[in-house]
Amino acid sequence: MKARPLVLADRRLILCLGTGGVGKTTISAALALGEAMGGRAVDVMTVDPAPRLLDALGLTVDSGELSDVELDGIPHSGRGRLRAMKLDPKATFDSLIARYAPSETARDAILENRLYQNLSQALAGVGDYMAMEKLLELCADAETDLIVLDTPPAREALDFLDAPRRVLDLLNSRAAALLGASTGFFGQSLKLVDLAARAVLAAFDRLTGLHLLADVQSFVSSFDGMYGGFAERAERAHALVRDRSETLIVVVTAAEAQRVEETRAFIDSLNAIGLKVGALVVNRAMPEMPQAADLAKLKIPSELKRKLRRNWRDFAALKTRQTESLSALRAMVPDSAAFVVVPDLGREPARLSDLAAIARCLSGIESGDSAAGRPD
Amino acid sequence: MALPRLIFITGKGGTGKSIAAAALAVALARRNPVVLADLDRRSSAARMLGADQNGRGFCRVNERIEVRALSPRAELESFIETIVPLKAISRRMLGSRTFGYVTAAVPGLEAFLMLERLRIMAGEAARDDSYLVIDGPASGSAIELLSVAAGLGRLAPRGRLNRLSLELERFLADPNRFGVAITLSPEEAALREAMETASALDERMGIRRVAAILNGVARPLFNRAEGKIAAAMGEHGRLVARRIELGALAERARRRLTSTGLNVIELPMLFTESIGKAEIFELSRALEPRLA
Repeated sequence: MKARPLVLADRRLILCLGTGGVGKTTISAALALGEAMGGRAVDVMTVDPAPRLLDALGLTVDSGELSDVELDGIPHSGRGRLRAMKLDPKATFDSLIARYAPSETARDAILENRLYQNLSQALAGVGDYMAMEKLLELCADAETDLIVLDTPPAREALDFLDAPRRVLDLLNSRAAALLGASTGFFGQSLKLVDLAARAVLAAFDRLTGLHLLADVQSFVSSFDGMYGGFAERAERAHALVRDRSETLIVVVTAAEAQRVEETRAFIDSLNAIGLKVGALVVNRAMPEMPQAADLAKLKIPSELKRKLRRNWRDFAALKTRQTESLSALRAMVPDSAAFVVVPDLGREPARLSDLAAIARCLSGIESGDSAAGRPD
Repeated sequence: MALPRLIFITGKGGTGKSIAAAALAVALARRNPVVLADLDRRSSAARMLGADQNGRGFCRVNERIEVRALSPRAELESFIETIVPLKAISRRMLGSRTFGYVTAAVPGLEAFLMLERLRIMAGEAARDDSYLVIDGPASGSAIELLSVAAGLGRLAPRGRLNRLSLELERFLADPNRFGVAITLSPEEAALREAMETASALDERMGIRRVAAILNGVARPLFNRAEGKIAAAMGEHGRLVARRIELGALAERARRRLTSTGLNVIELPMLFTESIGKAEIFELSRALEPRLA
């Protein structure tokens, strides 16, 4: 199984995407560290890092802003630097509102709206949208060579990348018209489907006693005047992630049979929204198996030798299972995309040096090839 | 205490939710009819058991296990169809962007309808003396989903939705009707997430935790002395160390889970080249005695 190493060239943004539980945050941090070691100025934004990874990066649970990561003890070119942060969606949204609200009254109206207060749990995609928002903020810093963005786990890539559009849909004045203003209020006649949608909402309100329509409408109209700013930023985020000279899309997965179909569906959903996978990273692969024949030469008690044989057979079976998954994953991305296998560390990354070891695999300095199975 | 009618399986990504759901369904089906359902229309658990997908959301593994493919989206669609009975219009709506506005405008609506469906299905299970096994989403999404009832109740202080959300909350808090099984692998990250999920369910939400299902418990093979000898054996020694470490991780996970009062069910690590029907049946036999 030939690896095709990750070549970043002078790209400015790496988006790490994937389903949950594959070590996406670890890979994001390692990619960022690797580039910083190579002499670039790098920012990494993580979404939900495990406590040990936070330690490794020198972050705390509420590091909502960028902080410098000490590269002492890691071999690096002197010019490189690494900054890391953990995304706080609510704080990002609050500051966004404060920035775009035309007046203090408008700002307070939004912050006190019961929808807004329930938004973090209630409106899917806010966390995703805020990640995009923070990304644009980081991009504005000309001193930064590269931004690595970890993303929330998603069943479908759309959840994350479509977030700006989804939130905008709610804020869109056409939606406002739909949700309560009189027809023709915005100088456009509503289509039959719009009327039906409105009927659905009205029925829902009647059925439920929720009286949400009024709330949604006041929420949407308090965004009046801010819509332009939001729409413009969403447009920029949309364009940025699709600019292949600037952005590399990295899909992270694991070499498990369960993940194969999941990953295929994920890549399909990326393609469907016009995003090409630049690299597929398979995390936590088993190391290469030793030769079973070596056991015969060992001068040890026969009982122990029997157990060693049994142990070898057990792990060899797992290795076979994994190699099949690896081949299937390898076939999913075109030759133009990188394919990297990162061997399992055997522990959770807890130190910067652990991340550096993963970074070396990612850049092909220490090929994960040998760990990935049979050569082809 | 008897099992709840509905067992909702969740856990960190990659910790074997679908495998556990499939094995649990097989084990339960030896005594009662079982409905095995997922919430993402992938039917991963049913496919492991060899069930064909027929695209309509219904099929059977055998005469004891019925498969249902549910999704919050589908619940919303059927809700829309009841409100807009004109097929031509409801179809166009479902295909339009307008529909996106509707879903964005009513927070948690899909999830709420999904929970309502589960409540109805649990009622049917009680009537038929059957069990319902749900191959649920990963813990973060699961907690979000299960919190929707209370969340919508707060949004609507009066009216029918408020009554419905109270009913949903009662359903989720009823140990005879609803319970959660949390899957985990012995690794630290999975253990931590399982502990967090368990405490959120118990303390914050008052939801019954049926069990923690500890997947991938490797049978110990080497004693300490053998481990020491093997340490000098290079590559094979590394495999021995890995085997010993797997055992130690499982032991630690077992201790931590038990100390919080969770009922821990261990499933063996399957050192097999693939995981199919035969392996699921093996796991179901490991599960069965723990369900009494």
